[in-house]
Amino acid sequence: MSGFIYRFRRPLVVILAVMLGALSLSYTSSVRGKVVELSNLLATVVSPASSSLTFLGHQVGAGVNTVSQLFALQQENQALKQKLLLYNSMKLELTQLMADNGRLRGLLDLRGTLTGWHLQAADVISRNPDSWFQTLVIDRGTSSGIQTGMAVIVPQGVVGRIVAVSPTTATVMLVLDPKSGVGAMDVRSQSVGVLEGRDPVNGTLTFQLFAHHPDVLVGDAVVTSGYSQYYPKGLLVGQVVSVQHAQFGLTEQAVVLPSVNFNRLQTVMVVLSHPSGSSVPPIFGGSAP
Amino acid sequence: MWQFRFPTWLVLFVFALLVQTALLPVIFPVGYVPSMVLPVVVLIAVYETPRRGLAAGLLGGLMMDVWSGRTWGLNALTYAFIGYLVAILQGKIVRDQVFVPGLLAGVAQVAATPLQWVLLRVAGYHFAWLGFVRPLPSSVLFAMLMTPAIGGILRFRSRHEIESMYGPDL
Repeated sequence: MSGFIYRFRRPLVVILAVMLGALSLSYTSSVRGKVVELSNLLATVVSPASSSLTFLGHQVGAGVNTVSQLFALQQENQALKQKLLLYNSMKLELTQLMADNGRLRGLLDLRGTLTGWHLQAADVISRNPDSWFQTLVIDRGTSSGIQTGMAVIVPQGVVGRIVAVSPTTATVMLVLDPKSGVGAMDVRSQSVGVLEGRDPVNGTLTFQLFAHHPDVLVGDAVVTSGYSQYYPKGLLVGQVVSVQHAQFGLTEQAVVLPSVNFNRLQTVMVVLSHPSGSSVPPIFGGSAP
Repeated sequence: MWQFRFPTWLVLFVFALLVQTALLPVIFPVGYVPSMVLPVVVLIAVYETPRRGLAAGLLGGLMMDVWSGRTWGLNALTYAFIGYLVAILQGKIVRDQVFVPGLLAGVAQVAATPLQWVLLRVAGYHFAWLGFVRPLPSSVLFAMLMTPAIGGILRFRSRHEIESMYGPDL
């Protein structure tokens, strides 16, 4: 008997397994709910391992996907960088255009406000090589009607006057120059005096007042007095930042900060002619009527 | 060799003045615009005799005065002195292409400022000393960097070096 079993052990095992399978199938089909619970319990027990493996699988999948997309991403990155460069340059261009627009709009407003005045726009092309003398060269000359002695202004105030002229260029002496000598007036107290360049580095002006007790205060606006042969009356020059007594206390002088930013001068207006005795409206610092 | 010729100096000074009047004012604020002529004068004088250094400085300074259109002689005297001083000093120290021109340019700028202040006072321009020297640090730094840079770009060499490169029959 034992010899028979041993001889046919493999087929017997198979038959036994099939029988067990059939029994199991028959039993579990009748008690389905309990089998599901068992399965669920098993799933709960192995869930950490399952979730870890799933996560790992996703990561590996994503990694493989990333590697496969690397080339495409590189190309996309290049394209985006070029677009960014383009947008940055467009932004810079836009900023420049806005600045130009603001500057030119200011000049147009100035031209529109000063009715009866003949103004010639000109671009600054170079500066004086010496830091101690403040002159600059503009790209308009006698062929545009410019002559020596004409005032040069911008919407913010007085720039200077023409001191030399050729057919195509003209030299402007800025109010910052130590020899500028602009006839000026304190708007509040109506005190008059002469403005001259004071410090070539910090760009302030000395307001030498004529009166003994001129009553000039810090913060007062200073405009051209009109007594000078070069500058029309009422053009804004700057603001008083300090008042001090001159030597021996006989006269007073004030330090004036110009209203014009001379570092950013690009386009200026040359006053070719203006109505006799006219004064600039208060919006440009002119004395009130 | 071209670097020792007068027309070369003329062209260099014209170019330096163009840069100084049209380009540097866009970069530096008013009052702080450094001199572009000084580095050129120093660079020429470093490789020249005192007499020729003086002549180069005189030429550069005079051109600057004419360009400026104000006090003719202010820069001519200053840069003639600088050219002479640099040519004297360079004969007494070991010469190289970078540090010595830079150092001499810094010394030259420091020497030029009080000299110009005195000359301007003589000419009737009374500037406050503190305001006058305020741009000095930036000017010194600019001169110290710009001088070897120009020398490197233009390949300035001493006569001795050039003669040894091209033979004794130059």
